[in-house]
Amino acid sequence: MNRGYYWLVIALSIPAFIWLVPTLWMVSLSFQPNDVLARTTSSTAFGLVPLPFTADNYAALFTFGQTPWWFLNSLIVSLGMTLGVLAVSTTAGYALARLDFPFKRTILVICLVGLMVPEQAVFIPLYTMFADLGWHNSYHALILPRMAVPIGVFLMLQFFRAIPQDIEEAARLDGVGWLRIFWYIMLPLARPAMMTLAILTFLYAWNDYLWPLVSAQQREYFTITLGLASIQSNFAQSEGLGRVMASGVIASLPVVILFLIFQRYVVQAMTAGGSKG
Amino acid sequence: MKHVLLTAAAAASFASAAPAQEVTLARFFGACEDAGTDTTTSVGEPCIIQSIINAASAEIDGVTVNTLPTDWGNYYDQVKAAFAGGTPPDVFVMHRHRIPEFAGLGALAEISGDLEAAGIDPADWSENALEAVSYEGGIYGVPMDFHANLWHVNMDLMAEAGLVENGEPILPSSPEELMEHAQMVKDATGQDYLAADFAQFPIGVRLVLALMWQQDSNIFSEDGTATINTEAGANAVTAITQLFDAGLANPQLNYADSQQAFLNGEAAVLVNGTWVVDFYAAEAAKEEVGLDNYYAADFPTLFDTGATWADSHMWALPSTIDGETRAAAMKVLAFINDHNIDWARTGHMAVRNSVVESDAYQSLPHRDEYAETAAIAKDTPPSERYGAIQDVLNRELQAIWLTGKPVEAALSDAELEVQDLLDR
Amino acid sequence: MRQGRKSYLSQQQSAWLLLAPFLVTYALFLVYPFFRGIWISLHDWNLLAVAFNPDAKDFIGLRNYERVMWGRNIEWGFTAPLLQGLGLIGLAFTAFLHRTNRLSRFNTIALGIVSLLLVVLPGFHPGEGGRWYDRRFWPTVANTVLFVGLTVPGVTVSALLLAAGMNRETRAMGILRTLFFLSQVLSVTVVTLIWQIMFSPRQGLIANITEVMGGTPINWLTDQQFAMAAIVIATVWWSLGIAMILFLAGLQDISSEIYEAAALDNARGARAFWYITLPNLRRTITLVVVLQIILHFQVFGQSHLMTQGGPNDTTQVLVRYIYQTGFRDSELGRASAMAVFLFVIMGAFSVIQFIIGREKDE
Repeated sequence: MNRGYYWLVIALSIPAFIWLVPTLWMVSLSFQPNDVLARTTSSTAFGLVPLPFTADNYAALFTFGQTPWWFLNSLIVSLGMTLGVLAVSTTAGYALARLDFPFKRTILVICLVGLMVPEQAVFIPLYTMFADLGWHNSYHALILPRMAVPIGVFLMLQFFRAIPQDIEEAARLDGVGWLRIFWYIMLPLARPAMMTLAILTFLYAWNDYLWPLVSAQQREYFTITLGLASIQSNFAQSEGLGRVMASGVIASLPVVILFLIFQRYVVQAMTAGGSKG
Repeated sequence: MKHVLLTAAAAASFASAAPAQEVTLARFFGACEDAGTDTTTSVGEPCIIQSIINAASAEIDGVTVNTLPTDWGNYYDQVKAAFAGGTPPDVFVMHRHRIPEFAGLGALAEISGDLEAAGIDPADWSENALEAVSYEGGIYGVPMDFHANLWHVNMDLMAEAGLVENGEPILPSSPEELMEHAQMVKDATGQDYLAADFAQFPIGVRLVLALMWQQDSNIFSEDGTATINTEAGANAVTAITQLFDAGLANPQLNYADSQQAFLNGEAAVLVNGTWVVDFYAAEAAKEEVGLDNYYAADFPTLFDTGATWADSHMWALPSTIDGETRAAAMKVLAFINDHNIDWARTGHMAVRNSVVESDAYQSLPHRDEYAETAAIAKDTPPSERYGAIQDVLNRELQAIWLTGKPVEAALSDAELEVQDLLDR
Repeated sequence: MRQGRKSYLSQQQSAWLLLAPFLVTYALFLVYPFFRGIWISLHDWNLLAVAFNPDAKDFIGLRNYERVMWGRNIEWGFTAPLLQGLGLIGLAFTAFLHRTNRLSRFNTIALGIVSLLLVVLPGFHPGEGGRWYDRRFWPTVANTVLFVGLTVPGVTVSALLLAAGMNRETRAMGILRTLFFLSQVLSVTVVTLIWQIMFSPRQGLIANITEVMGGTPINWLTDQQFAMAAIVIATVWWSLGIAMILFLAGLQDISSEIYEAAALDNARGARAFWYITLPNLRRTITLVVVLQIILHFQVFGQSHLMTQGGPNDTTQVLVRYIYQTGFRDSELGRASAMAVFLFVIMGAFSVIQFIIGREKDE
């Protein structure tokens, strides 16, 4: 480590700090009293230090607000979607990677084409379809449309392809069925890939905005992302800046914690998701 | 967590053999989560309406009210989406200007036959109020208020500029006088004369509309011809742009910022609706707020005829509602109708004659200051595309004051687009 | 896994069984909606009217597409000299590079098509007494392209520089990477929440700092000159992380021997970055750019929540227009026609992305 390196770290710390400031500011504002914020947002050090300090915003959030409920919804939807995507993608990915059957190439091509269809291009027909079925304002309406993501299948397919053939062949010689091989041999091996896919899906589900916006009109089924959008659209009349910011902090907490714990996987997930889909 | 508690409460009451009919209610006005059930002390639109709703839920036997989203931004989009999804709210608030669109499609329940049973007397509604909820001979809702644009005045700034007489603000009576007054305020105080949301919500549109109506002109006729690019249109717009050009008003403030500017004492006049009268009165009473002496004035007449933009809030039921739910929903409407005086505390004008004539109403703060407003209230002709038309006007007017688009070009573009919408 | 145990299902049966859940969901929630979208786009379809009466829709063929994208008396000519000139230069440049064999075939085609589009598209304009039927659609597309055109280079350049600086496996660098990446996991509504207040001329951090330094705060979100910049800044802040990570992954593939060899030739720091890093990262850079184009072309939340498309439509973007047309104006047919347009654009870039992805495998 030479002097150049330390200079580099210092030089990079400045933009890194600037990068952190908006988030820091949100956290700091959430700990300041609303009546102070109504007058000025820069009490101490441009408002970056929460003085005067209060935790009332969080208390109020948990006493009156819908935020905890929305939070729970987000958790249900995100976990549901993650499990669903994992189930659908691992099975299909394995079949496409390791098994022989007619029309395999056709199915692969159809999946590839599906990669090109963005959510935004199908949300209207999906909306009318779910309306006809009377499915809106439910958890399955929030979960189902994103189950069939070809990206997950491709991710798993690539992983399964890389597993050496001989493991499977040994099991075949022992007369083990394909489903058992999948369940007892392949799935345990696929854990890292599944982790990657799970994180990718969870982040997507937690942060999705457009679909919940059109599908959920009842507050019971708002996700935290949607709920947050609904309270920021009328700042002037809302309960105060501090409380809105506190909701923002609560909404971000799980994904930030998830990220800090599983940083390595998140980065892998982003790299894999990024370069393929 | 309230939701969980409510559900638990509902479940408990169900178990104790008093089945509560749940009524879902959609509204805008913004969220007030700790409103309580005291309808007489709450302040501001969100909290007053929520306290009335909470009280309805608590006091009406066998009915619980579940309040749906409360934000403005996507309200009508969401209501439409709910209708299209087959799960419309049992009761929802709307503006009178939306009736042609919703009732025209058969989305609203005709309730003239339900009123009496629910204890609502339509004869007590003012003539205008009845007209507001009527469509092709039927009654499609229970009116709650008239709301209109006012001039909210900072009396201290006006006094400094010598624009106060007998405790009342002197307001302009022509576009030229508007300029003079604005200059006087600037010279005396250094502050802007007029503030309004010219950059976000269509408050600026409503200002221009009022000035067009004051010249007995309108943006489109009943038969569906757009008439925006006219002399009256240009007069109305230039009456305002002259202030921007002279640096006597700032077109770049949005709703929150213009309001904050007024409360900080940085603008002598704020153009905004009746809905904020009680809020500004409460703010003016606070030590730390720049605004001290607050006055709510009628929208002044700058041209020939008095006119200010106005609309109505009303409560409607979906056409699909029936049976027990319909009866329960009507009870909720009756409860809201009974609390017309509480809602009027926001600053809105009441719809019931008995309320308007009551002492309680007459003695509401600042009420006498804008007594004329009810007489000059106006709106555009009914149209199924009100929202989109308002959006076109908002865009083109913003183009004029925010980007310097020539008035003529903007008005002719607006006329073209509004005509398109009317023809569609 | 006892020996001698026979499997009950053949390979083929197992395959179909395992594939079934995916095929069903895929057909139901992607394939079917996709075709249904095209079908809706061929109808005059009012959201509310159809909800009350399923037959209240008229088949009108391609009229929605015409009403959205075309107009009366539309002519073509050199009316946008700047863009069209740029396109012509691009065409000449492509031809030159192709002659001198500096470009792969794929890149030649891509560059050629982009240049050609630049020449052709801006040339359409309403002639005498003519007009676009929908006067907002193309400006909206142009705004979206502008947003992409500002965001993508912004993200790419800053991410590349940061990645090059942080390409060392030390603790400090790890922490720095985490900091830069952190904003990436926030949801769009949190991002807009933060930046709406950041940009506020009265309460905003930026305004507070400007005032202390003696400047006049800018009305970021309501000033036509700054509104687009504001949502671009928020977006760059938000989505820099993923590009940075992709670059870091790409950088690790460049062997240190190349750098050591270059150091002998006195190529260090900026020179090494220019002569070694950039050429070796070419594929990653293209990938990141295409990926970002696809991602940001679908921008919705930033515009919807921060500026509501304003002021004067300067930040109105395609997806928001689709949403508004469908749910505010209830015109699902027109909205679907626009969605199909969006799909075509996205599809084109996905094909490019796919081809680049394949190049590596070969």
